[in-house]
Amino acid sequence: MNVTDPTAVVSSISAIGIKVLLSIATIIIAVVIGKVISIRLRRSLKEKINKGHLDIIIKIVQYSFIIFVLLIFVLPILGVQPSSLLVAGSIAGLVIGFASQSIVSNLISGLFLMIERPIKVGDNVNINGILGIVEDISIISTIIRNYDGLYIRIPNEAVFTNTITNYVANVARRFEYVVGIRYSDDADKAIGIIKELIEAHPFALKSPVPQAFVDNLGDNSVNIIVRIWSPSTEWYGVKMELLWEIKKILGENGIEIAFPQRVMWFANELKKEVD
Amino acid sequence: MFGSYNCPVSIEKENLLISLETEGDVKYYRRECLDNEVEKIVLNGNGNILFNPVEPVNLPKEITSYLLIEFERSFMVEPGTTRKIYIKFPVEVGVFISAKKKYEVIDVFTMVNQKFILYGDPRSGIICKYWLSDVYFSLPSADPMLEGVIELEIMNTTIHWAELTRVVFNAYAMKIYYGDDIVSMKAKMKIMAGEIAETDFVNSPINKGMKKSVELYTTRRVVALGTKFLMEKGL
Repeated sequence: MNVTDPTAVVSSISAIGIKVLLSIATIIIAVVIGKVISIRLRRSLKEKINKGHLDIIIKIVQYSFIIFVLLIFVLPILGVQPSSLLVAGSIAGLVIGFASQSIVSNLISGLFLMIERPIKVGDNVNINGILGIVEDISIISTIIRNYDGLYIRIPNEAVFTNTITNYVANVARRFEYVVGIRYSDDADKAIGIIKELIEAHPFALKSPVPQAFVDNLGDNSVNIIVRIWSPSTEWYGVKMELLWEIKKILGENGIEIAFPQRVMWFANELKKEVD
Repeated sequence: MFGSYNCPVSIEKENLLISLETEGDVKYYRRECLDNEVEKIVLNGNGNILFNPVEPVNLPKEITSYLLIEFERSFMVEPGTTRKIYIKFPVEVGVFISAKKKYEVIDVFTMVNQKFILYGDPRSGIICKYWLSDVYFSLPSADPMLEGVIELEIMNTTIHWAELTRVVFNAYAMKIYYGDDIVSMKAKMKIMAGEIAETDFVNSPINKGMKKSVELYTTRRVVALGTKFLMEKGL
């Protein structure tokens, strides 16, 4: 019959108790340090990242830190060597890694998008040829509502690695027209009329100063370039409105938009018999 | 024409026609101003209607809360001095209906042209409502339906002369008063460095007996955004 030494049992229990207590203490310290890291991160990033995204990033960092401490410090205390997990972990990691490659890529891209903030919810953007309004930027994908009202989901990796044009990132933007008038028309008068029209439009900005000038003498017309700055939120309406207004007011003042034409010179004078 | 009226109301001026008529318990508000017409149906209400000048940044569309007034003539301010000048600003008229001692705006109109301007650069600048004003050294006269007067106290706290060409105000801070023949505000401009100044408004009329306007930019929003404006993109 096997008789267990009571002293050995007590010392064994106390050793396990110490290990458990040490593990709990390590976890508590990891949680506290994780909290401190999250507070520091929140302070330093709160101006750069919106609150919803910041919460997600902070949670990812905080839990990653705690899991790291668990694997590296707590498991050895409890007698589980991380190296023993390596074989199983590496195989599982390989499988998971292949399976989740695109997810991780999108996630990392999403984090960088949230930090860099090239686009915001509500912005008018062009991402890789997709034009529309940003509806949502999540950790994995970005949602665009295009101008036809369609829902478009773009993986964040595609957003991050492609050219992004944000039409409203700056408060004002410029657009231009080319107005071709006849050679017989007075270009100075046309420019004066166009400038007056621009001046009367509230959303054609006073400064930066709008421009109207003869840009080139074309085959069929004298080409006047018109450049106008407008608030980014209003530019499309102004652009749609002003071109036709320019055409109408020039017409009212006897200045016409030129049509393509050819002046033909005959080597021999054209003869026609008249009765 | 500013002030409170009881229904029925009919105001007719040059290029302006306003009426509030009752049919049963329904009131019809109509306004024709220049080429712009508005008609609204008002249900209930005690029939009081109030006209007063409001912050001039609402029309033709509320896209900014800043007003930039460019001076027709620039002027120099001596270092370490305080000087008072008068400039004009565009008037926008708010039409309010009242119920239970609360005012609700139903219309805003103006009889002057609207224009916007960019203060600063397109990347970091701001869009402002634009107005061009001469600089006056005594209280100028102005048609209250078209223009109001700002009494602007300029403090040059620097050790250099400052040349002023414009001033930018934040609508959240505006305190507008009106009398029979004048609309006014009182403001301060503190020049803090060569190209930097701070502007703010003073909550008092320039003449005794003037009435305080009901403002559109309420104090609730002031808390969130602040009332002063820091001109960092040049004077």
